[in-house]
Amino acid sequence: MKEIIKIAWKNVWRNKKRSVTVVVAVILGISAGIFACGVMQGWVEQRIDAVIYIENGRIKLYNPDFLNNEEINNVIPNKEAVEHFLNKETVIKAFSERVKLMAMATTSRGSTSLMLQGINIDDEKKVSKLYTCLLQGTYFEEETSRPVLISDKTAEQLRIKNYVLTTEILDSLENTASIPNTVIASLRSIENIRFESENKMKKEISSLLDRKDVSKYGFDVLKMSEQYRLRSKIVFTFTDKQGELVNQIYKVCGVYKTANIMYDQSNAFVLKSDLSTIAGLNEGEIHETGIILRENANEENVQSAIKKAFPELSVLTWKELSPDASLVSEYMSIYLFIFVGIILFALAFGIINTMLMAILERTKELGMLMAIGMNRKRVFSMIMLETVFLTMAGAVAGMLAGWLLIQVTGMTGLNFSSFVDGFEAMGWAAIVYPTIDLFFFFGITVLVIVTGVLSSIIPARKALSLNPVEAIRMNN
Amino acid sequence: MNVIEVENLVKAYTDLALEVVAVDHVNLTVKKGEFTAIVGPSGSGKTTLLNMIGGLDKPTSGTIRVNNKDITQLNSKELINFRLHNIGFIFQSYNLIPVLTAKENVSFIMEMQGENRKTVDERVSEILTAVGLGDRMNSRPNQLSGGQQQRVAVARAMASRPQFIIADEPTANLDSKTTEKLLDLMEELNEKENITFLFSTHDQRVVNKARRIVVLEDGKVVEDNENIKQ
Ligand SMILES: Nc1ncnc2c1ncn2[C@@H]1O[C@H](COP(=O)(O)OP(=O)(O)OP(=O)(O)O)[C@@H](O)[C@H]1O
Ligand SMILES: [Mg+2]
Repeated sequence: MKEIIKIAWKNVWRNKKRSVTVVVAVILGISAGIFACGVMQGWVEQRIDAVIYIENGRIKLYNPDFLNNEEINNVIPNKEAVEHFLNKETVIKAFSERVKLMAMATTSRGSTSLMLQGINIDDEKKVSKLYTCLLQGTYFEEETSRPVLISDKTAEQLRIKNYVLTTEILDSLENTASIPNTVIASLRSIENIRFESENKMKKEISSLLDRKDVSKYGFDVLKMSEQYRLRSKIVFTFTDKQGELVNQIYKVCGVYKTANIMYDQSNAFVLKSDLSTIAGLNEGEIHETGIILRENANEENVQSAIKKAFPELSVLTWKELSPDASLVSEYMSIYLFIFVGIILFALAFGIINTMLMAILERTKELGMLMAIGMNRKRVFSMIMLETVFLTMAGAVAGMLAGWLLIQVTGMTGLNFSSFVDGFEAMGWAAIVYPTIDLFFFFGITVLVIVTGVLSSIIPARKALSLNPVEAIRMNN
Repeated sequence: MNVIEVENLVKAYTDLALEVVAVDHVNLTVKKGEFTAIVGPSGSGKTTLLNMIGGLDKPTSGTIRVNNKDITQLNSKELINFRLHNIGFIFQSYNLIPVLTAKENVSFIMEMQGENRKTVDERVSEILTAVGLGDRMNSRPNQLSGGQQQRVAVARAMASRPQFIIADEPTANLDSKTTEKLLDLMEELNEKENITFLFSTHDQRVVNKARRIVVLEDGKVVEDNENIKQ
């Protein structure tokens, strides 16, 4: 067998172009597979992470009526007993109680309707990572009366988002030299001018710069000039417990942005104490409890435990609250399977083709070898091994390339926003940080190697079907 | 002692309903150590006959015995094994594996035959030196001339001292001087190692070197001159 391995190895080097083709095909197959897996996994994990740690928590409790009709009176019954139960359960890491009211938000320039959530900052911070999503301002840290945290989207709708190129911004740009000074000089003519919408700013920039510079720097300049009028006043109008319409003024303390625009535009946060008093709710009246669990707790078990203890409550997991996210996470493996399947199919096709060509080129030599006494097993192994060597070389390089690709893009992130507009509107991040499980990483590699080995069977069989007498006669 | 005994050997091809009898009731015995040329015009059946004797092709009828063993009864798997251990082959061209050196080409077959490392190493340098390539052992086929390549083929065929060596027009691609040298070499080895050679040729100069000449015509043996003195 040693001599067969030796020949197979030497045959690898015989037609460089062919070998390189096979190796590159394998490298591309593996790295593309790994990368696609990584992007998809990163995406889904980010979404689920957001669903769990920002939007929902793992489990939420409601008064069943509140789910049908978000009315102020549909509060969680038996709140003290529930609290007691949640505090006792060891798998429950933290929970946060919220008051939720549908409200109309109005400024002098715009209005929008949204869900006003009254929260207790300390509890909420343990359950939701929203405080990590701040663009400007603080997470209720300033000493103002009645602070409100709104989203970037809401700020836009209420026209408290402006676009200004301040002297400060322009000066710092000059220092970093990321934008040519001529461009900065042209921008000086709108220095410190406040635009109230993105479109107006865009128009002005387009008129100041030539086309090429606009497409090159326009987006960055626009992003840098974003500014929110913090401490602006917003009037919230909602129905209180007695059914009366009440108005209350809040001051913007911070602006957040998550990957989910839908969530952003329908949620604003205020202090529970501020909201409850004016709405006529007493201390114990809340509409929602968000719960997060310890790392490896089973949410279905906890769900049924709570249900059993409090049959009068609606107990929902994140999977039920955001069915899209759970569906995609379940189907992810199927998508991946199809994608990897296509890659493997193309790969098999390529390997079979190139190796068949190699056999064809060597007909006479193979005939001679069979004539002098090389048996079927040896011929078969020789051809198989050659392909296996090529596949292995490609596999190692492909794993490395795929891993590097994931590492680099996992750090920098992949920005899809310029390709597709709708992602964020559906709650899916536009910037994806690929990541991959070892299971998928090695799974794909193994699949590619198996494909390589399986596809080498066809050329090897072709070699076996040669008739040595005919093969030799070809050159006589 | 007879190494090869061919009896009533027939090979018929049916080509487009037309029957061609390539080898027609041939009887032939070859003794150990003989140096025999099979000659005849093109299409007379030389290659067909040699292929059957070498166990590459199955006869239509008749028997071939090698050392009293009827090889026509062997199945294809047994035949491959039989060829590997009993017969040396020299073809007109494409004798060598291009990716292996002269030395490796010879040791490769001995390794397949299951010889141990030490035997292989000793025999390979002995035989390559014997064919005059002691200094070219590490050359690849494409670094050797046509004549040198054929000498490697001779060395490979002889390496593990087979029952006999079959060479179908081994000199067809060589010029006359190289042809003569190769024949001299084969003859010398035939005498020194007492190995039986059975070769076919078109070439009169090659015929002149043979010690026995079998003439084929239309698949039949028409002449058989043994013990030709040179
Ligand atoms: N596979 C085949 N199918 C049909 N006929 C064949 C086949 N192989 C050989 N023949 C015929 O058998 C006859 C003998 O051929 P063979 O090759 O043995 O002759 P040869 O003496 O070796 O000729 P040359 O000197 O040209 O090599 C020829 O008529 C040839 O056409
Ligand atoms: Mg012939």
